Parts: sequence; C-alpha cells; structure tokens
Amino acid sequence: MDFNNKAFERFAVNFRRGDLIFCEYEPGDSFYLIQEGRVQISKIMGEIEKTIDILHPGEIFGEMAILEEAPRSANASALDPVKALEFNRENFEILMRGNPQIALKLLKLFTKRIYDQRRRFMILTLDDVQAKVADVFLMLNEGQTAVDPESDERTFQTKAEDISHWAGLSAEKAREVLNHFASQRRIEIFPDKITVKNINEFARFVNSRRKQ
Amino acid sequence: MHYKANSVIYFKGDLEDRIFILKGGRVSLNSNDIETGQEIHDYIQTGEFFGVKSALGKYPREENAVVLSDADVIMFSVPEFEQLVARNTRIIMKMLRVFSNQLRRMHAKVRSLLAAEEQVDPEEGLFRNGEYYMKKKQYSEALYAFNKYLTYYPAGRYNQEANKYAQTAEDFAQKYGQGKGPTAPGLSGTPAETKKPEAGKQLSNAAKQYYDAVSLFSQQKYQDALKAFKVIVDSGSDEEYVVKALFEIGRCLFSMGHHDQCIKHFTSLIQKYPKMPDLSDALFYIGQAYQEKGDMTRARSFYNKILSMPSVDDGLKRKVNKALRTVEDAL
Repeated sequence: MDFNNKAFERFAVNFRRGDLIFCEYEPGDSFYLIQEGRVQISKIMGEIEKTIDILHPGEIFGEMAILEEAPRSANASALDPVKALEFNRENFEILMRGNPQIALKLLKLFTKRIYDQRRRFMILTLDDVQAKVADVFLMLNEGQTAVDPESDERTFQTKAEDISHWAGLSAEKAREVLNHFASQRRIEIFPDKITVKNINEFARFVNSRRKQ
Repeated sequence: MHYKANSVIYFKGDLEDRIFILKGGRVSLNSNDIETGQEIHDYIQTGEFFGVKSALGKYPREENAVVLSDADVIMFSVPEFEQLVARNTRIIMKMLRVFSNQLRRMHAKVRSLLAAEEQVDPEEGLFRNGEYYMKKKQYSEALYAFNKYLTYYPAGRYNQEANKYAQTAEDFAQKYGQGKGPTAPGLSGTPAETKKPEAGKQLSNAAKQYYDAVSLFSQQKYQDALKAFKVIVDSGSDEEYVVKALFEIGRCLFSMGHHDQCIKHFTSLIQKYPKMPDLSDALFYIGQAYQEKGDMTRARSFYNKILSMPSVDDGLKRKVNKALRTVEDAL
C-alpha cells in the first residue's frame, strides 16, 4: 500500500529526533501512522521513565483518540527523525473509506489492545495478592513464544516494579510477595530477571483463586 | 454450514481463525463474567458477525458458541474476511466503533480497580510530567508539557508554576543546552516533592537491606545472605526487620547444613521473641534440623508440638504431617 501517495501528503507531519509527539494526560484528538523512523511509547512512573513499546514504520499509535477525545495514556516521542500521517476524527471516515487496509490494520490493533486490557483486568479482579503476582507471570508467559514445552521452568526479563505495575500493587507489597515466593523456592530473583520454577503450579494456584 | 440445536460451533479456549455470520437460527455466546464468575449469554442476531476478535487477534476463544436452535452460518477464514470487508468499509467502521467502545469500557474497569494512589487527574498528571522532565534537564520535553498545560488549563491550579518552569526551561535550554545546567529553582520545594513523604512509599533502609538479603537467599547464596542478615541485626535500627532477619539467619544456617547452630539459633530466638509471627515455621526448622541429624525422637516431638498449636496454616500442616510420617517410619 503506497502511503507516499500525493493524496496523503496533506496529512504528513515531521518530528525531529527527541521530539515529544504527545505527552501523557494531554487531551488527544488525533492518531498517527508511522511512515519513517521509530517512535517510543513511554510512561513516567515516579522517578523513572519506562519504555512500554517501540514502534516502527507501518504501525499506528494514539488510536484511542479515534472516537473520543480522551487524555493520552502514555508519552510518544521520536527516536529518529519521524515522518507520520496524522489523522483526526474529521478526516478519519473519509480516509477509511478510501483505504480499507488502514481500517483493517486498526481493527486488528483494537483486538490486540482489548485482549491485553482484558487480561490485565483478570489479574486485578483476583482478591488474593499472591494470586495476582502469580497471574502476572502467567500473563508474561502467554506472551513468550520461544519456550521449551518440556520444561516447567520459565525465566522472565522483569523486575519487581514491573510486577507491581501489572498487579496493581505498591512496589513494596509486590516485593514482599515476590520474596515470599522466593522463600518458598517457587521463584528465584535476580537483579535483571525472575525465574519461575514451575509455571504450571502457578496456573493451578491462580485457577484455584479465581471465582468460577 | 448447518448446525443442529445443542451443538457447539467453538469452545472457549479453542485457537482457530474462523469468523462467522449467523444466517438463521439461534446462537448464544456463553462466557463467565471476569469479576463475578457469573455466566453471561450473548445472543447473536441474524446477520451479525461472531468470533471476529479472537480470530483477528489470534488468541483463544473467550466463550462457547452454542447453537440454541438449528442454525445456518457462513464461515470465513481471516483472509476471506479481509477481502470481504475491504470492499465494504462500513462494516469495518461499525466494528471499529464496537471494538473501540469495548476497549474504553475495559480501560475504565481496569482503572477503577487500580489502587487509588495510581489515579491522577489529567491536569495534575500533565504538570507532574513537566516537572519530571525539568528534573531530568530535558528542557524541550519540559517546555512541551508545560506549554500544553498552559494551553489546556489556562486557569489551572499550577498555572503560576507552569509559567515559571516554562520560562526557565526555555532559558536553560538556550544557556546550558539540553541535559545540562543546574537544578531549576523551585524544583526541590514543589508540591511534587512535599507530597512524596506523605505517600509513605519509600522503603526504610532496613527493609531494603532485608529484601536484598532475601534475594541472595533465593539465589542460594546462603553465605552472602547470612552476612547481609547479620548486618541488619547488628544495625538494630528497625525491630521488625531485626526479628525477620534473625529468622532468616536460622534458615541460612539450616540450608548450609549447620544443623546444630540452626537449632541453637532458633531456640534462643524463640526464647527471646515468644510471640514472633513465624513461630511455627521456626519450630519446623528445629524439627527438621533434628531429623537431618538423625535424632528422630526430638524431631517428632517438635512436629507434634506444631500440630497442637492453634492457627497453623494448612500449607505448613501438610509439610509437618509429611515429615512426621517419615520420622515415624524411621523410628
């Protein structure tokens, strides 16, 4: 699909390397399709800025603004000189009609986002804090592709702060639960990764705590 | 495709990429509410698509598609579906609306469950982001955030500060350049700073040392863990963590195979803190240490003592019972 088409030229916007494209909490009324360069999606959490995703040409961001003007849920900044097409609600329908490929891409993006949010919601609905933390590992496990199906052991490049974020717990509480698991030898904590000894045992544990 | 009543078109958990349109008959999508576990029935209307999300997103089905009365459905693979809708963008637009709504509802639900401390109103959030960038001397980002703040909240709570910061950011960017220069005046005394201790999220020093030591223990570096726990005990600053560390020292001794020392350590710990929270676990370690030493009689009496205590958790009870059987077999 040729986005360098003249018809799109009027939607093109350019950002310099390091530019903020939008900032979390800022009201948003447009979304972007990257044509050139990479875009970093990040969130400021306390004293650190955490990278959530790095997007490449052909990918879409800011899509929550399509139907409603809602505050941005993260920061977007240009990692390279970025060229993107900027769309808003007014030109969106016209665009979609002429370009069903973009519409399909958006549709797929939404299915993924809904799934991710739903999964996150499932973690948060657990009452038991230990089950919450265990379920975060199950979620991370579902996202891993190269795993040895013979082994119950899984290693995750993650830290207590990430776990606390996903589980909706304070950093201290998350660390406490992780240390409890560590003392039961169910996990091992390293500076840059956490190993779960038996992911299936975690799955059974979480299932037993979920309302059926 | 024709489906008989009471048959199932797909099951929850199935991973496959078919998409359906109901032509006639009755089909229900049955799932359980995530929060309450209650069963939900979603009746598909004639002409409606189903199975779209999981097929397009390539994830397992989230519901059972049950045929209530004989039904005719049209089936598509994902590429066929794409071809179909590419010629009819109105379908996509409609689906986009539905999905976008679902996503927003899900977002709202997630937000409502997150701890209150994580919730920030957009005005405050935008200002805090500017402050963050100011602290990191990322002046152009700070300027962006403060300018947006001033645009959207011209009469906002932090209007004065935002104005001042925006100016400073501009000055500093010119004078010192991005990433350089002194800390902007006012940053240490801003509301963001004064609010922090209130939240009380900072771990005490003892707590941090303790967690680091537990992490060493979990990596089976018992010697190092032991040393780290001893530092906490010696510093004696935080009684709660001193007791916790003392308990862990006993575990280190046990894991290192120093059974006599382990018994001695836990015995004196229990004498000193008879009401300690991990009392039953401490007794279990003593019992196990005796068992390892081959003193089955003493091991048995400790195990029995644990079982006679009120409020021992089930997990420990199971472990004790199992150990007790081994010990009794040996006697």
